[in-house]
Amino acid sequence: MVTNPMHQFEVHRIGPEIKIAGVDLSFTNSSLFMFFSAVAICGILFLGTKEKKLIPDKFQLISEMFYNFIAKMINDTAGSKAKPYFPFIFSLFMFVLFCNMLGMLPYSFTVTSHIIITLLMAIFIFIAVTVIGFLKHGFGYLKLFVPSGVPIVLLPLITIIEIISYLSRPVSLSVRLFANMMAGHTMLKVFGGFVISLGMLGGWLPLSFSVALTGLEILVAFLQAYVFAILTCIYLNDALNLQH
Amino acid sequence: MADFNDFKTRLKIAKDKLRNNSINTNNNGNNSFMGNAFKLGTELVAAVVVGTIIGFILDNWFDTKPWLIILFFFLGSIAGILNVIKVAKRMQEKD
Repeated sequence: MVTNPMHQFEVHRIGPEIKIAGVDLSFTNSSLFMFFSAVAICGILFLGTKEKKLIPDKFQLISEMFYNFIAKMINDTAGSKAKPYFPFIFSLFMFVLFCNMLGMLPYSFTVTSHIIITLLMAIFIFIAVTVIGFLKHGFGYLKLFVPSGVPIVLLPLITIIEIISYLSRPVSLSVRLFANMMAGHTMLKVFGGFVISLGMLGGWLPLSFSVALTGLEILVAFLQAYVFAILTCIYLNDALNLQH
Repeated sequence: MADFNDFKTRLKIAKDKLRNNSINTNNNGNNSFMGNAFKLGTELVAAVVVGTIIGFILDNWFDTKPWLIILFFFLGSIAGILNVIKVAKRMQEKD
């Protein structure tokens, strides 16, 4: 049972069962690792900003690097108009990054390997961006679905295609993160299982593969958090600076 | 005075080093390349999935099984390809 590669994705209850109005709100291992990553983020940022030294210590350096990284990313992709949304994108990036990275520790649980979590975040972003777009441009935001320079005959078809492409945003955003995390962790577990079943003689090859995959997975964990944040910036850019 | 000149050359060397480093980090586009590669695949699939789901829902509404699901599958595919073209264009703009 332990070598079942999907076993690591099971959500189970920790502590008592809590049911409010028929909805199961019990504390699970998923909630535990969300809590861990939130605590880790707050801890690092708190330690980093406690005293502002001219020559930063490790925590201050890390916090400043995160800040600069996100600030530069928002500035490059969405322009200066997106500055007010910095806190949101920063927390989003940090949460996804820490959930991915904590999932890389042995015996831990990867929160972002469940599609419900990533889909929830993606749908929230999708709705928020749509609302921001309508607030900034009124019904002019609908111009996003009507590209300029299209013949009248083709316009209904193009509009439907544009709407489908707009609606596909949350799906692609969430599936990308979820699929990458789940596939990577499954692969790690499968190779780990090979090491055990091949034993001392043949186990070295999958073991070396496993080591290489762990490195790759750490890269993917960072990259997916980055892609998630940068796509949010791109969508925000579409809503703030209407173009077509 | 010799000390001062010495300091100047050392500062110049250090600045050059910094400049080279920053150029290196700019060229280090491998990461975003891989990110883009991940992006393209899901972008293509997601639009097809969304199109098919819309077709399925509309079919249930208007009782026109299976025509709308077929139509929207193709529209979704077109949207997916369009998405990929958009992302690719954005990638080229960056370079």
